[in-house]
Amino acid sequence: MGLELNIDNLVKRFGTRELFTIEQLQVKEGESLHLKGENGVGKTTLMKIMAGLEKPCSGRVRVTPNQRRWWSDRIHPDVIYLHQTPYVFMSKVIDNVAYGLRLRGGSRQEIKTKVQQALVWARLEHLAEQPAYSLSGGERQRLALARAWILAPRLLFLDEPTANLDRHSVSTVAELVKQLLEQGTTVMVSSHQSNQVTELCRRHLLLENGALHEADTMMEPQRYAQH
Amino acid sequence: MDMSLLDTCKEALALLFSLDAELWSIIGVSFRVSITAILLSTIPAILVGFLLAMTDFPGRWMVIAVFNALMAVPTVVIGLTLYLLLSRNGPFGELHLLFSQPAMVIGQIILCFPILVCMSHAAFQGIDRRAWETARTLGAHCSRAAITLACEARFALLAAILAGFSRIISEVGCSMMVGGNILGYSRNIPTAIALETSKGEFAQGIALGLVLLLLALILNFSLASVRGKGQLV
Repeated sequence: MGLELNIDNLVKRFGTRELFTIEQLQVKEGESLHLKGENGVGKTTLMKIMAGLEKPCSGRVRVTPNQRRWWSDRIHPDVIYLHQTPYVFMSKVIDNVAYGLRLRGGSRQEIKTKVQQALVWARLEHLAEQPAYSLSGGERQRLALARAWILAPRLLFLDEPTANLDRHSVSTVAELVKQLLEQGTTVMVSSHQSNQVTELCRRHLLLENGALHEADTMMEPQRYAQH
Repeated sequence: MDMSLLDTCKEALALLFSLDAELWSIIGVSFRVSITAILLSTIPAILVGFLLAMTDFPGRWMVIAVFNALMAVPTVVIGLTLYLLLSRNGPFGELHLLFSQPAMVIGQIILCFPILVCMSHAAFQGIDRRAWETARTLGAHCSRAAITLACEARFALLAAILAGFSRIISEVGCSMMVGGNILGYSRNIPTAIALETSKGEFAQGIALGLVLLLLALILNFSLASVRGKGQLV
């Protein structure tokens, strides 16, 4: 059964300020979405709510089939969110990549093999033994992608993955995202401007004035969800 | 006077290196009591510090303020309170703990707990929120993510443990009041220094003072070397 994410009457406020209200949104397996919107409209908050990292004020996010862990009713094991500026743990690159896999268990040899594959995939094998904090912005972004790729997520949220990256790094990240899409991972990318990564997306959403609109790249935004 | 001080120091070193039984029994009591106290309080205090940093509940700021205030409470006040609680007429008099090592351990736990809570709270508060979110989204449940955060804050937490240990290994007021300064049982380094000095027996006091000084140096050099390896620049 394909992974599906549904949003029902989602409302987020900060104090008295309402950030957004989204009546309905459906994301199906294999889709690629670009979430557009100006700075401060709530793209990051929306993605974090969808990934289960933040609570909405009301409404709900359902991910089916339900495989949520007993200790959390919000975070789905097949859903991963990557920050705009990825956080790297104070350890080696190789340990950062292995973090999620070690939590899931498995033999040492199995983990070692998969970590090696992930490092090659993200072109980080030459940096495996380096402290992760010594990586550049582009390398950190690739490390974050490798950390997610190794867990084979079915839905991946990428929050402004190309912000502050040079052209070469953007191309590399775009290539990695393309491979993830080819593997069948649903990817949602937030970005306030178009770039090589957002160009890979077939569906475009616009978060504007507290509402989410379905948009076409060539056409005017069409109202999708209402206040 | 200078000669006298030099002679006393020589005598103190002789006492230390001749493995004087009485002196080393005092050192043993000090370490046994303080290490037990720090071991018993570290994990619960770090947990409280973590919860204060990560959760929001009504009156949270008040709890933080109380722990901050408790850091500054004089050791004799803790000693007096504990004395009243453990004395024969006190609510816990039946336990017969007064003038015992367990009473000293309890006193030292009360002394170092607020320091550990406040410093670990500050350590966790200083960690980027993204560390928690990254751990959670990569599949860590809450307790595993908390351990990850503790690893990220390991240098600050280590400093908190050392600060807590430094406070209790050198405190005299509480140990004197609830331990009773009984030779071979509850006489520790600070209470022995106080007693020997009042008797005019400076050699043993200086020898014990040297032990405390050496300990402080060892602990701080260890922390500095560990921090040096983990520095960012």
